[in-house]
Amino acid sequence: MFIRNKSAIAGLLLMTLVLALTLVMPAFYPVDPFDIVWGPLAPPGDAPEIPLGSDFVGRDVLAGIIHGGRATLAVGASAALITVVIGISIGAAAGFYGGFVDEILMRLTEFFQVLPALLFAMVLVSLFSQSLATIAIAIGVVSWPPVARLTRAEFLKIKELEYVKAARAIGARNRRLIWRVILPNALPPLIVSATLTIGVAILFEAGLSFLGLGDPNVMSWGLMIGFNRDFVVDAWWAVTFPGLAIFVTVLSVSLIGDGLTDALNPKLRDR
Amino acid sequence: MSIVRSIARIAIVSLAIAGLASPVHAAEPKPGGTLVVGAGAGVRHLNPAVQSGGATGVPGTQIFAGLVRVDDKFVPHPYLAKSWEVSGDGMSYTFHLVENARFHDGEPITSKDVAFSLATVKANHPFGIAMFDAVDRVDTPDPHTAVIRLKKPHPALMQALAPLLMPVIPEHVFGDGQEPKTHPMNAMPIGSGPFKYKEWVKGQHVILERNDDFFIEGRPYLDRIIIKFIKEASVALLALEKGEVDYYPFARVRFRDIPKMEENPDLNVSTRGYEALGPINYVEFNMRNAPFDDVRVRAAVAYAIDQDFMVGKLHGGVPHPGYSPFYRASPFHSDELNKYEVDLERAAALLDEAGYKPDEDGVRMKVTLDYPTFHIDSLTNGANYLKSQLKKVGIDVELRAPADFPSWAQQISSWDYQFTMNNHWNYPDPVIGVHRIYLCDNIKKQIWSNTQGYCNEEVDALLKEAGRTLDFDKRKALYGDFQLHVSRDLPLYYINQEPYVTAYRNSVMNPPETVWGAMQPMDQVWLDR
Repeated sequence: MFIRNKSAIAGLLLMTLVLALTLVMPAFYPVDPFDIVWGPLAPPGDAPEIPLGSDFVGRDVLAGIIHGGRATLAVGASAALITVVIGISIGAAAGFYGGFVDEILMRLTEFFQVLPALLFAMVLVSLFSQSLATIAIAIGVVSWPPVARLTRAEFLKIKELEYVKAARAIGARNRRLIWRVILPNALPPLIVSATLTIGVAILFEAGLSFLGLGDPNVMSWGLMIGFNRDFVVDAWWAVTFPGLAIFVTVLSVSLIGDGLTDALNPKLRDR
Repeated sequence: MSIVRSIARIAIVSLAIAGLASPVHAAEPKPGGTLVVGAGAGVRHLNPAVQSGGATGVPGTQIFAGLVRVDDKFVPHPYLAKSWEVSGDGMSYTFHLVENARFHDGEPITSKDVAFSLATVKANHPFGIAMFDAVDRVDTPDPHTAVIRLKKPHPALMQALAPLLMPVIPEHVFGDGQEPKTHPMNAMPIGSGPFKYKEWVKGQHVILERNDDFFIEGRPYLDRIIIKFIKEASVALLALEKGEVDYYPFARVRFRDIPKMEENPDLNVSTRGYEALGPINYVEFNMRNAPFDDVRVRAAVAYAIDQDFMVGKLHGGVPHPGYSPFYRASPFHSDELNKYEVDLERAAALLDEAGYKPDEDGVRMKVTLDYPTFHIDSLTNGANYLKSQLKKVGIDVELRAPADFPSWAQQISSWDYQFTMNNHWNYPDPVIGVHRIYLCDNIKKQIWSNTQGYCNEEVDALLKEAGRTLDFDKRKALYGDFQLHVSRDLPLYYINQEPYVTAYRNSVMNPPETVWGAMQPMDQVWLDR
């Protein structure tokens, strides 16, 4: 099913490329992305030492792409994890217990949903510190509401199904019902949503860095764009290459997400 | 000697009152018209006697006159004072006021108002003590004569009498016993200058109208000045290009935008008019703690920094390099000091000597560098450069990004930092702008005081001596000694001089380009359209 989906395959291939670039390549290209290796703003192809040119300080853009991917992916993945954990906990509780608990948790969700996400994340980052951990937490804190709503909807639907009632009838406790009976059956759409959240989180990190709120001590693609955006007219390469890297990564994540949707949807199976 | 010189100076000056060293334009000034001035920051109120800074200073120097005005060489010229004499010992200055001068409400401007203004500034202005602590009293023998009597010689006195620093305010308005800093009339002042307060809509604009009763015949040329507050720099530049704004001082542009602006045939771009502010950028070391309590470590940082690279490459050649605590336009500026030309081997040797040996990764120390939110090109990008550059000598720099200006200022003024990018303004005399950074008794928990905790008795003695020496050459020699000392002790390492930019349309004639720029009376500005 998944394998037959062309976009999913393309996504997987791209993701493999990205992972190879960020996890394997650093060992073969041991240039520190913060080192000044050349004159500033040298275009790509100016010298074999700097295949993709240099940025406004004279740092190697290729080194930034290779070494900066890890931080970008880490922020994306951890933000998605935080999003999913908060979203599922709140959504599951609201959907399963209903009533008063549902009321309170959904009002809370709405409260977070109406806050403009980017602004709220900016406030969090500037309030605490501009570090990767804060950025990941901030992104997670602002993007869990959709996951919570989705989880709640799934729980509302599934908890009325026969097998849940049967499980309850033979004496399963709430905790067992939530974690062992309902959640596994609610997972497919949540997995898709979590995958897509990674893409959103990567874009978010880039957006924050663009606004000057990135962690200046850890090279990331977003940070490269944030650093060099003032020089985009004079030096397109210092912004374009990290931009492309982000584009490819987010694209691969989206394609995989789409493939997963198809694969996990029983109605589309074997079509 | 000094009295002869002052009389000679007055004679020369009186002949040249009209010219005032502004750029000479062949065309005859055309009276009338409205000048629209773009301003970035909002303004707290309009009374520069109790508030420093450009936001109040631009409207404030139009509304209020001072005893003297200063040209583009820091030379004082008659303004409200038509002439003055200095006693032979330099301890008393006698000012003869213009006789027909009136406040905007019609009351005559008298020597009593001068005495009142000086007392108000001394007690309320942030630099009040630095500027007028030496003043013992102001005598007022008759309504048109004010005699400033000093406790000790005070070479900075004339510079401190410019309209921005000592505006002449009416005693009958501000002397009613209310707290000067929060006086309700600060928002709609009755002034003494070429333009009258008309309207102030908060966050929008200030409108000033021609003072028809101004004490200089035929001035000002303009009918009206509108100061428009535009928060976004890009919006302000657009307004300037479209002609909605004529004159934009303190234009917040990035270094790389300046050449592009210069290409616009409708605009003029100037970096003149900021000499009296003299903004200079530097790396400041917190000298209380390791590792920067050791002068060898500070010197190693200085040797590791390549100023030619910073100014020439990183900043596209726009700012001026700066090694001295004095702005390049200051008469006390000199190049005779330790410059720390880049030398990475020497930096490494100094660190070795100080006991900071590299570990297996080549790291000698981990330090945190702060940087403020202003002067992004020089200070934020400079901090990023330092992180990369200092790594070459084994100093692992972690950048601490500022959330906003107050949180950075809080960090530095509570001495909670290792080293930071920073900037101070020179102001027209070192007594006001430079001493505060170096004097032992100015080690304060206050931003732009001696926050680095530097105290050298020799330097203190030099500064104190220079602060009461009237002879220019002697004073310059003292400051020369001073800058040699501090370039050896290195509490701060200067990296460049920040270019501030004024952009104005071609139709603005005689733009204010003395050392005070937009913070000088614009009575000679006229519009050719």
